[in-house]
Amino acid sequence: MSIAPISHFFILSPRGDTIISKDYRGDVVPGGTDIFFRKVKFTEGGDPPPCMNIDGVNYLFVRKNGLLFGVTTRWNCSPSQVIELLHRLAKVFKDYCGTLTEEAIRKNFILIYELLDEMLDYGYPQTTGTESLKSYVYNEPIAVEPSKSLRIPSTLGAKTNPSSAAHKPITGSTGGAKQRNEIFVDILERLNVLFGANGQILNSSIDGCIQMKSYLSGNPELKLALNEDLVIGRGQTSTYGAVVLDDCNFHECVRLDDFESGRQLTLVPPDGEFVALNYRITAEFRAPFRMFPSVTETDALHLELLLLVRADMPEAQYGSNVVVSVPVPRAAGTVSAEIDPRALPGQSAEYNATAKRVDWTIKRFQGGTEQSLRVRVTLTQPCTATTRRELGPISASFEVPMYSVSGLQVRYLKIADAGKAYNPYRWVRYVTLSSSYVARVG
Amino acid sequence: MSNSRSARSGGSDSRFFTTTKKGETHELRLELQSPNRDKKKDAVKKVIANMTVGKDVSMLFTDVINCIQTENIELKKLVYLYLINYAKTQPELTLLAVNTFVKDAKDPNPLIRALAVRTMGCIRVEKITEYLCEPLRRALRDDDPYVRKTAAVCVAKLYDINAGLVEDQGFLQVLRDLVCDPNPTVVANAVAALSEITDTGGKDVMQITTATLQKLLAALNECTEWGQVFILDSLAKYDPVDGVEAEGIIERVTPRLQHANSAVVMSAVKVILSYLDLITNKDTERVFSRKLAPPLVTLLNSEPEIQYVALRNINLIVQKRPKILEHEIKVFFCKYNDPIYVKMEKLEIIIRLVSDRNIEQVLLELKEYAQEVDVEFVRRSVRAIGRCAIKLERAADRCISVLLELIETKVNYVLQEAVIVIKDIFRRYPNKYESVIGKLCENLETLDEPEAKAAIIWIIGEYAERIDNADEQLDHFLETFEDESADVQLQLLTATVKLFLKQPDTTQDMVQRVLHMATEDSDNPDLRDRGFVYWRLLATNPEAAKAVVLGEKPTIADDTFTLEPALLDLLVGQIATLASVYHKPPEAFVTKAAPVKDARADEAEEDFDEYEEEDAAEGSSMGGGGGGGAQESSGGNAVDLLDMGDLSIDSGTSNGGGGGGGGGGAFFAPSAAAPPMVKHQVCTAEQGQGLQISAGWANKGGKLSLEMDFANAGPAPLVSLAIQLNKSYFGLSPAQPQIVLPSPVPPGGAASYRQALSTAAAAAASALPMALNPALMAPPGAASPAQPLQCAIKNMTTGAVIYFSVPMDVSNVLSADGQLDKATYLSYWKAISDALEVQSVITDAPGMDVKAVTAKLAARNIFFIAQRDAGAAQVAYYSFKVAGALLVLLEITVQPGQIAVCVRTDAQPYAQPAKALVESILRS
Repeated sequence: MSIAPISHFFILSPRGDTIISKDYRGDVVPGGTDIFFRKVKFTEGGDPPPCMNIDGVNYLFVRKNGLLFGVTTRWNCSPSQVIELLHRLAKVFKDYCGTLTEEAIRKNFILIYELLDEMLDYGYPQTTGTESLKSYVYNEPIAVEPSKSLRIPSTLGAKTNPSSAAHKPITGSTGGAKQRNEIFVDILERLNVLFGANGQILNSSIDGCIQMKSYLSGNPELKLALNEDLVIGRGQTSTYGAVVLDDCNFHECVRLDDFESGRQLTLVPPDGEFVALNYRITAEFRAPFRMFPSVTETDALHLELLLLVRADMPEAQYGSNVVVSVPVPRAAGTVSAEIDPRALPGQSAEYNATAKRVDWTIKRFQGGTEQSLRVRVTLTQPCTATTRRELGPISASFEVPMYSVSGLQVRYLKIADAGKAYNPYRWVRYVTLSSSYVARVG
Repeated sequence: MSNSRSARSGGSDSRFFTTTKKGETHELRLELQSPNRDKKKDAVKKVIANMTVGKDVSMLFTDVINCIQTENIELKKLVYLYLINYAKTQPELTLLAVNTFVKDAKDPNPLIRALAVRTMGCIRVEKITEYLCEPLRRALRDDDPYVRKTAAVCVAKLYDINAGLVEDQGFLQVLRDLVCDPNPTVVANAVAALSEITDTGGKDVMQITTATLQKLLAALNECTEWGQVFILDSLAKYDPVDGVEAEGIIERVTPRLQHANSAVVMSAVKVILSYLDLITNKDTERVFSRKLAPPLVTLLNSEPEIQYVALRNINLIVQKRPKILEHEIKVFFCKYNDPIYVKMEKLEIIIRLVSDRNIEQVLLELKEYAQEVDVEFVRRSVRAIGRCAIKLERAADRCISVLLELIETKVNYVLQEAVIVIKDIFRRYPNKYESVIGKLCENLETLDEPEAKAAIIWIIGEYAERIDNADEQLDHFLETFEDESADVQLQLLTATVKLFLKQPDTTQDMVQRVLHMATEDSDNPDLRDRGFVYWRLLATNPEAAKAVVLGEKPTIADDTFTLEPALLDLLVGQIATLASVYHKPPEAFVTKAAPVKDARADEAEEDFDEYEEEDAAEGSSMGGGGGGGAQESSGGNAVDLLDMGDLSIDSGTSNGGGGGGGGGGAFFAPSAAAPPMVKHQVCTAEQGQGLQISAGWANKGGKLSLEMDFANAGPAPLVSLAIQLNKSYFGLSPAQPQIVLPSPVPPGGAASYRQALSTAAAAAASALPMALNPALMAPPGAASPAQPLQCAIKNMTTGAVIYFSVPMDVSNVLSADGQLDKATYLSYWKAISDALEVQSVITDAPGMDVKAVTAKLAARNIFFIAQRDAGAAQVAYYSFKVAGALLVLLEITVQPGQIAVCVRTDAQPYAQPAKALVESILRS
């Protein structure tokens, strides 16, 4: 029995205050959110699993921008459905309020309740599309200035670095200001790469998606074409150099009539942000940065790490905000980190003594170049095998703009039946990001 | 742009939260009556803002309801929102709104029609339901699908309030008709409503036929993602007539595997898996099951929460159909930024998928994990290496060498975990890897966890002949025997006996010492029993002792976390539900019974007639031999306690000296020193219509339970009993309403009580755990904490109901584990809102300082936390726990001539009684 309703939806602030609480079925346990919050807060080593049963009540939750989105249910529900729903609610709130912050939600609480009333009935999810909700919702959103200092870094924020245009509420058209007719298409590829100590790639995968955010008036039909030689499913015959996706899935607005023949998606984009296509690649690809660590034990109390990082991508490309983190042994006394004097400008290497970690930041890492870092560690006690093992693993985070590692491309994005006069702005951006980018040491 | 808007609306909605001046209610009331619509709307918003933050604004009910007659849909929605919240508190006044609902349900605007039906269904006032029927019937046939889909859900709402009404009005048939509605959203909601009614009503009102099946499959392609989930889940419950039909459905469902919504994917997987068994053609089956792999793997690229759910489900799928993911092990390798709960689940699946082909790769990974920072993850990784060794015989060598490398790192917890798994490896491959014992023994000093200690002691005992100084090693552990945990003590006892059997000359003194400690000094019945068994074995027949203690042990397999086939099948049928995440059958955690009841008294006044029926059913299922795990374990408890009960009664009436033979007397002798609790005879055979009961309170590990001995002097065997307690000061209630005895107690005749007990055949003991139930709290002032608790017991065989009371003392109810440390106390104190605090000042207590107060309270299991000086007063903090469940925090301010008591607890109903209790203790 998994057609099961939820009883209670709530949003808690990072301090545990209830910001929004909606009881759908009249069987809410008083004080339940407090019990839940304590459980989340006092779980060691990060968040507890997203589904828990406390005293016969099931709690499911996700974290969004530091806020806790949770539900309770007494039924044997489908947890994936509830979690997807929570992500969806967060997205719709973000679409309507512009940003997803405690302030924005507090300011718009009436709107949020109105949305919640339409999105679920008696705990059963109904309409959750930003677009279709517009016809049922009457409250106007109140915009919140996104203030840099107050914003809690979002976990998903790393996905995009959108222009400020992408922060406005979607129903802002009535404000009187003229609406820009534009659509953003982002091809995001998140990389999971694991290097062995010799620099060889042990495991790698690309976790990609085509994310769209539409501000097009009239919601026209679009045609989005991908590489003609795109292959889906490993083990299928493919031409040399073709992009091979292991698997992919589509947003429900996407029609695939011309996908088999012309690799073309037909879609009527709903308002707001959505992911048209998710894909997964495990075939080999050129990792944009390769890392070569080598450790020498100069004497019993001194360790030295030389780390070479090569940007293995075309010279026109560059990695931005590259941060390479090197954990050092717990027994480290003094640590010095030294950048190659002939290196590119805009680099810094800092040792964080509490976290026992060296962070090496390279603002702009040009393709085809090689950078190096030398870390000298003086130990407080003689080096053992364990001490050596504590040096590493090295992890990197970066963003490569206008580059897709897989080679997946948008050939064109057309408005299906538009006259000459209708020519909205179309922004197609490629971004390659690190997800888990790790090199083992020795 | 945003500036201009916020200026226009005068700030933002958050300003509604800020008014906290006096006379606010009055102001709001005036604003609500304002003829200006915007002003009115703002006022309602303010009311709702207050409602949201938990302030009571029910006194504005009439004023808000008066705003309902409006054309403005925004205002109407706000009023409805208020109404849903407060209808229950003002059922009479809610009737005023009915006219508007009925009128709105005929409005030309479908949004308003739907809104009226939706809101009416949410008002859980019985009186309103009769007005709901007509509008609902119309709405179910409405032209607009938005109204119909709302009405479909409303039927489920109505069913929950008044099931009979729904059946009488024929709404179920209308719902079934809606399953064939042209609009897919209406279909989805009708399916959801029918499914809920089936679930609560207990009979299948859905009944999928071939015709509806086609409708559902057609709707599947059209409706929203959530609707798809509903439809897929109802398909999973359908039984296809044959393999061909199953195949047809699978083909229609397969495209859902490509959906971006993981819930759709999971539900599609569930449908396919449940139909797969019906397909006879092996090739077709393989083709279908192969299609499941890529979408399942893709789920692992979603958000961590989705990954977690997927992994828990994959865990079941790979147990049921290991082939599906056999080549995908790499995707389960942990990423360094995975949350810990995802890593743990991945580890489980790696162990399930490990094979001779991929073991090299897996070991490399596990070795890396064993050096990460998170201690728990490291432990699990080390354990995983051991489990690989146990699973794959050919890889055992390599696993052992990896473990030895890890031992070399000398990291404390790695070492402990390695010792534990190596013990298991020894059991799996006897006489193969003993060469590593030496390495293990080098690190004895660092082992400080009971499990690791127990493991190494087991190894020493088992392989004593191969360890040069086994006796010294054990002797070293024996020094701290009394401080060890029960597991370690048991292992030490066994290991010493083993050593003695192998090297009798040098260890006689040691074995005597350990037997003495086990049998004389220990309170642990397991340890005592085992000690006595060894003692007698050694004394009477050393050869037999050898055969028993050094006998061959069966080898073990890696079945940790492997589910019973029956449970596995059940859970695979529950894929995509919480049951598949918890790996527990739904009955084990679904308790959707109680929507918070208004009339709490109802529950308390349920009488025995209701129990009777349940019991009859329960009893017959027990008789059928189908006792579930839970029942078995409670039975086990009862047997254990039987021993104790026997002993305590023996010691209480010393002249008996034990009923059994001489040997038995020797056995029982040492225990006379430790009667842990006192049972009073509460009911004689005469009062109890043949049933004799003695009962007493036991407080074990903080859990309060009522322990009872029964002797049966009646004509019929005693099988099960139902029990109910009267309202009491703290609302104690039995954790289960009935007592099923581990084995029936045959009629013991009218022979003496003592005999009946000591033969044990005609007697039984039971420990009934207690829970707190606010519904069972006595009205304030009517009870005192020291009053005996009234019990009623019904003998299910004879139908006789017996009443008795069990004397109690406050310190029985307050558990001995109520002590908190300062930090915990502080965090709890802060977590409980000020509003829940109750306080009072007493002036008639004897003059005391904090010390005296502390002493007084400590005698009743109320524990001192800290104290501070505040001018002339002294403030002290205390905590105590009621029945092992309810924590109460206490702040006492002592001033000359008066004592202020302030109590905080999250269970609000208990705050007042707890305060009164403390006051009475202070006054005493």
